[in-house]
Amino acid sequence: MTQRSSGETSDDGSSEEAPRGFSRRAFFAGAVSSAAAGAAAGVVATGLSGAAASGTGPAAVAAADEVYPFYGAHQAGIATPPQDHLVFMVFDVTTTSASELQVMLAKWSAAIAQYTQGLAVGSVEPDRAQAVPGDTGEAAGMGANQLTVTVGFAPSMFDGRFGWAKYKPAALKDLPAFASDALTPAFTGGDICVQACASDPQVAYHAIRNLARMARTTATTRWTVQGFGRASRGTGQTTPRNLMGFKDGTRNISSDDDFAQQVWVGADSDQSWMTGGSYLVARKIHMLIETWDSDGIGDQHAVFGRTKAEGAPLSGTGEFDTPDFAVKAADGTPVIPVNAHVALAAHENNNGTKILRRGYNFTDGIDSVGRLDAGLMFISYQKDPAQFSQLQSKLGANDRLNEYIRHVGSGVFAVPPGLSAAGDYFGKALFA
Amino acid sequence: MTSSRNSPATRRAARLALLTGLVAGSMLLAGCSAGSTTAGSTASAGGTAPVANGATQIKVTLSGSSCAMDYATAPAGPVTFTVTNTDAAGLSEVELMSDKRILGERENIVAGLQPATFTVTLGGGTYQLNCPGASAENTDFVVTGAAASTASDVQTLLTTGTTGYGAYVEDQSAALVTAVAALDAAIQSGDVAAAQKAYAVARPFYERIEPVAESFADLDPEVDARVADVDPGTEWTGFHPIEKDLFETGAISASTKTLSTKLVADIAQLQTLTKGLTYKPEELANGASGLLEEVQSSKITGEEEAYSHIDLVDFAANVEGSEQAFEYLKPALSTIDANLTASISTQFDSVNALLATYKDASALGGYDLYTEALKASDATKLTQAIQALQQPLSQISEKVATA
Repeated sequence: MTQRSSGETSDDGSSEEAPRGFSRRAFFAGAVSSAAAGAAAGVVATGLSGAAASGTGPAAVAAADEVYPFYGAHQAGIATPPQDHLVFMVFDVTTTSASELQVMLAKWSAAIAQYTQGLAVGSVEPDRAQAVPGDTGEAAGMGANQLTVTVGFAPSMFDGRFGWAKYKPAALKDLPAFASDALTPAFTGGDICVQACASDPQVAYHAIRNLARMARTTATTRWTVQGFGRASRGTGQTTPRNLMGFKDGTRNISSDDDFAQQVWVGADSDQSWMTGGSYLVARKIHMLIETWDSDGIGDQHAVFGRTKAEGAPLSGTGEFDTPDFAVKAADGTPVIPVNAHVALAAHENNNGTKILRRGYNFTDGIDSVGRLDAGLMFISYQKDPAQFSQLQSKLGANDRLNEYIRHVGSGVFAVPPGLSAAGDYFGKALFA
Repeated sequence: MTSSRNSPATRRAARLALLTGLVAGSMLLAGCSAGSTTAGSTASAGGTAPVANGATQIKVTLSGSSCAMDYATAPAGPVTFTVTNTDAAGLSEVELMSDKRILGERENIVAGLQPATFTVTLGGGTYQLNCPGASAENTDFVVTGAAASTASDVQTLLTTGTTGYGAYVEDQSAALVTAVAALDAAIQSGDVAAAQKAYAVARPFYERIEPVAESFADLDPEVDARVADVDPGTEWTGFHPIEKDLFETGAISASTKTLSTKLVADIAQLQTLTKGLTYKPEELANGASGLLEEVQSSKITGEEEAYSHIDLVDFAANVEGSEQAFEYLKPALSTIDANLTASISTQFDSVNALLATYKDASALGGYDLYTEALKASDATKLTQAIQALQQPLSQISEKVATA
């Protein structure tokens, strides 16, 4: 067994992360030698396909075999470096029975524990001819593929249907309306979100599909987005690009301090069951791709405030140069326009507010008026959804990018902390 | 049509293969029985299981990937199994089986939730405790004392149920014959309005017993094929070309009359074929589930009644046929798995409550026409209700299977 860090921080925010600056390749080569990283119990390779023993190196593990632990202080799929594929689904709970909901969440929790280890729940091929297979089978033999499944509860879950009203965190409220919102009911709201991420899209889909299946008498599927490429940089990763061709996540949260201060709900929360949890904001952002593709490079740079190829702030030359919003051009105007995306979103200009972005590129084919239907499935984690609202109220009103994007879907969810062990399940504290 | 018909015997053979789907499965089963572990391998040694409330008490513990009983034997009589899942993420179900039949079981036994119990009354013999997904799925459970002298109560209930269902099918067939005769009378007299009404009256009788009708593989296409299902060069016959004439063209032609005459003959044939048929419990179960597949694949999509748009009439009839089959299994199924039975009943109630919102006594067939607008606004809701019913319903075939 090879153990490596998943990049998760520990409960108290102390360092249990891999050393900074790992390239993706180095990460995958399993070159972890420091005691700190070795103790992290981060990634566990089960060697399901025997790759570890096949001569590719003593610690080398194919992504297919890579297993992220399910149990822990925080849910996986937040600090976890973004895998390549996403299936995000929002459910409406249809049952009015708290005990049916409880059974569903307990079954989900147990099932996710299995799926994330590359295991099934129930047989793909039962003995008896009349038996319906317990598992749908399309991920059989494929390995865990770094699967993480992250569960969150929307404000509507605390409306009194299930006796949860007294557990509603003050921070959990529907997002306010923002300038330039173009939300459609088809991609907005819902009761419970499930974010499945994996290095293989079929493995992620299998998890969501089977959870939907086991919930069929208690919850219905409301909206879903399949993301085909990560569009945010996680700890130790190279910076990926969004569908506008720009690097995304260059200054994403990665330090333990930032996770503790900006992402994880602390012990000071008004609801103790949320300690170690986080809040997920989902925004389905449609890009006006064809329009963008006919925009000149100079304007594209000005829209983001960064260069396209290198991703450098317009005030600097390298991707990781810190943007300097004070630098003026010869004509006296800021080199990074004040309404450029980075200028509006930068923590320097928002009293230090940051959010952990964990978005994915998506395409839904062709829309009803003949345009490419694609964009960014924006997902962010923060210790209070107000962090997102603070940034989006500025972006929605002023962002030069708004000419090329439409926020068409939205949701906010309380993501409970990680489960401690088998027998623990999502929402367990709320059924007390 | 000029194609020669198969003999009734051939059709019966086709019907059995289609309806049971058991031929290959049974072969597999024989091979799998070797997977049983020997008695006691995961049970504690020695001693006698305690008795409480008149039943021998057996504790079953799901832990890790194991499924263990505290005692592997009991005297003949009532036996209560109490199943606790301590930390087995992959296990959630326990069944007591006898010769591949499920006698009692519990599902949703998930770590972190309360233990589940079920009680069965057992005669002497060897049974198997089956834990799907466990490292050893089957553990023998030995009951000492007198063997059950006659067929079990469950078997008796199942036999009663399948006999009752056979009578139901015959009733529906007979009513269909009458309704199609009325349709034919209206068509032969050239009365489009009367024929439209008679069409809507006749359809449900066929839709309620569709799995049985479909099992006659050469008759069903001649009665119920949609135009897209007809092979090029083959004549399109049955209900739907008549529907097209009555509702799209709005006129009765000589060919409509010919089609009607043939439909009368085909339905008479159906009645002959269904008379005296016997059914296996799993056939009822598969039929009940199959009807809901029909609802999803051709009614909610609006494909079935493309010209008359009485898809909700067919929808209601499919659901009714499904519920009838379920009701005939229910007495036995309640004994085997009371929770599942209750869950299915609840889901039937919600589907029926939803369907009731579309009832309109003045509409053709008694339900709102399934227009494009209604489909656009309501199809998702209908799909979700049917799926929530079909999921538990699809589980019952295994529970009542006699093979």
